[in-house]
Amino acid sequence: MSSGRETQSIKPPETIVPPLPRSEQLTRMESRWASSRPTLATATRTKYKGLIQGFLDSAERFVSREALVVDGKNLSYRELRDSAAAIARTILDREPESFPLAAILASRSETAYAGVLGILGAGKGYVPLNPKFPVDRTGKMLALSGSRVLVVGREAFGQLPRLLPEIDRSLTVILPDCGDAAELCAAFPQHRFVSSRQMSEGAGFAFDIEVDSAAVAYLLFTSGSTGEPKGVPIHHSNVRAYIEYISNRYEVNERDRFSQEFDMTFDLSVHDMFVCWERGACLFCVPEKSAMLPAKFIRDRELTMWFSVPSVVALLSKMRLLQPGCFPNLRFSLFCGEPLAAAHAQHWQEAAPNSIVENLYGPTETTIAISHYRWDPSKSPQECLNGIVPIGWMFAGQQCRVVDHERSEVSETGELCLAGSQVTDGYWNNREKTRRQFVRFPENRETLWYRTGDLVKRGENGCLYYLGRIDHQVKIRGYRVELQEIEVVLRKASQAEQVVAVPWPVVDGSADGVMAFVSGVSKIDELHILNRCREALPDYMVPRKIYWLEEIPLNDNGKMDRKKLAKLLEGA
Amino acid sequence: MTVAMSEAQLVDLVINWVRSNHRPGYSPNGEISADTDLIASGLLDSFGIIDLIVFIESQSGCQIDLTDVDPGEFCVVKGLCRITLRNRQN
Repeated sequence: MSSGRETQSIKPPETIVPPLPRSEQLTRMESRWASSRPTLATATRTKYKGLIQGFLDSAERFVSREALVVDGKNLSYRELRDSAAAIARTILDREPESFPLAAILASRSETAYAGVLGILGAGKGYVPLNPKFPVDRTGKMLALSGSRVLVVGREAFGQLPRLLPEIDRSLTVILPDCGDAAELCAAFPQHRFVSSRQMSEGAGFAFDIEVDSAAVAYLLFTSGSTGEPKGVPIHHSNVRAYIEYISNRYEVNERDRFSQEFDMTFDLSVHDMFVCWERGACLFCVPEKSAMLPAKFIRDRELTMWFSVPSVVALLSKMRLLQPGCFPNLRFSLFCGEPLAAAHAQHWQEAAPNSIVENLYGPTETTIAISHYRWDPSKSPQECLNGIVPIGWMFAGQQCRVVDHERSEVSETGELCLAGSQVTDGYWNNREKTRRQFVRFPENRETLWYRTGDLVKRGENGCLYYLGRIDHQVKIRGYRVELQEIEVVLRKASQAEQVVAVPWPVVDGSADGVMAFVSGVSKIDELHILNRCREALPDYMVPRKIYWLEEIPLNDNGKMDRKKLAKLLEGA
Repeated sequence: MTVAMSEAQLVDLVINWVRSNHRPGYSPNGEISADTDLIASGLLDSFGIIDLIVFIESQSGCQIDLTDVDPGEFCVVKGLCRITLRNRQN
């Protein structure tokens, strides 16, 4: 591979089968390439390239500027482009007519970023998978996506021996960090493996692709109430609308230095990468350990753009790491994913006196964020409701409407519905869910609205305030979680008749974790249940503790009384 | 914690706290040592580390200044104890 990265071999079981001789590989691939696609260096600029367009433009304009700092390496736009090109070309050579999506299992590494760009560069949408998630869940996401190509980073090699047997269809597994995949070939003959030495050459690849604006740019999975993750496809047109609006709003330029704090399975990472690369700026991947207390990282890297969930402010504040003026270089500080406490907004503003602080709001279905509120120390404290910063006003061109339970528009409090160029049109292969959440109103059948399930209040000046959920979805450290999904796993693991997951503790409208209650069994083995949960659920969804109750308290409607259970926890 | 508490004693204090406050499902079975990385091992998450620091502060009566500390250092039992002792001396 052209980037000359260090490679390693993976050592799972069984005997070694020699790979196809390199010369033969290349001949076959080159002839296929030559017959199907010209390796031109004459990319026509009129072709619509969707999400990757801004990166490609910047790579032409700012060839040697730094594009990415990750894992101790600094990559220029040219280097990152070449790295992505090798992956893109390998995908096209190996799977020329395949499925429109490809998956990437990597995190906070060169391969993670080059993989996303490489998949897009091959004209496909990317499906981010998380090496920190349980293999079961990753396997489900991979299967549901239908991807036939999987790009894997070194940090996820440990998962492969458990993940690959779970996948029924034959995969092409691309391993840019692995020099020799012979052992994997032998152990999993149903799949095809491409080691770094077998990958196509990136240099000279012109990214001469054209995508449909309605094609999927990325497919993310969110928690689903039935126990299965739910796929949210975002189209190129949706995400281009976001990136163009935000790049202009924040006047992003090539001198900017962006944080990259979110996991790629969280859609806010799309903002970090593609708003940054849109204008030739540099992306700084926050290492796993720095992510919890990133103050030193922000200062050392002289970041100008910060984006995280508000929980980070709470942790830094608790550790006295938000001293006045400690982040003088920040131009913009953005928070999204959970309610932002007014006290935290003000505290951050004092730490970053030269920064504009904004609260962003938006479900995954509406592409990263769709409304904003700019913090103004002189008047914002009076505009907050219950100590929480408003979610503000819609991005220009996007629409909202607040409706009651009969879907009639109301003037003040109700469910928030959203429409516009950023809003996707349904869930991935899930008609029933799509029908329920994506609706049309009688007076204008043309516009498709997404029902958010978020309860909001509209102020007199049109400012929106988030009040909570109309269902059992919660946010845990910014991650969207359907409590029923946890309960499905709990029920199976405990064999209990009744199980309830309760977000706990909740501070400033945001939950740190989950506690569980079970009833209807004579005894429970807490460790066993928790282990089963850990096998099926990502970390933030695993209950911290499981309480056994003789009876689950019921409310007046005969439903399980979650409020009473939360009260029990307060007293525990 | 007494003023005379050594690094070894502080390490014991931390290990004992981790034994009773680690994340559910991560059974340490006695193998937590001074070299254990509390995050990489999965024993604590970021919130757990903060709780541990608060505990150490309450026991030592001194505030731990993490302003210029490398996160790689304070995630390891020994590193966190050394930072605490450095803070006490300052």
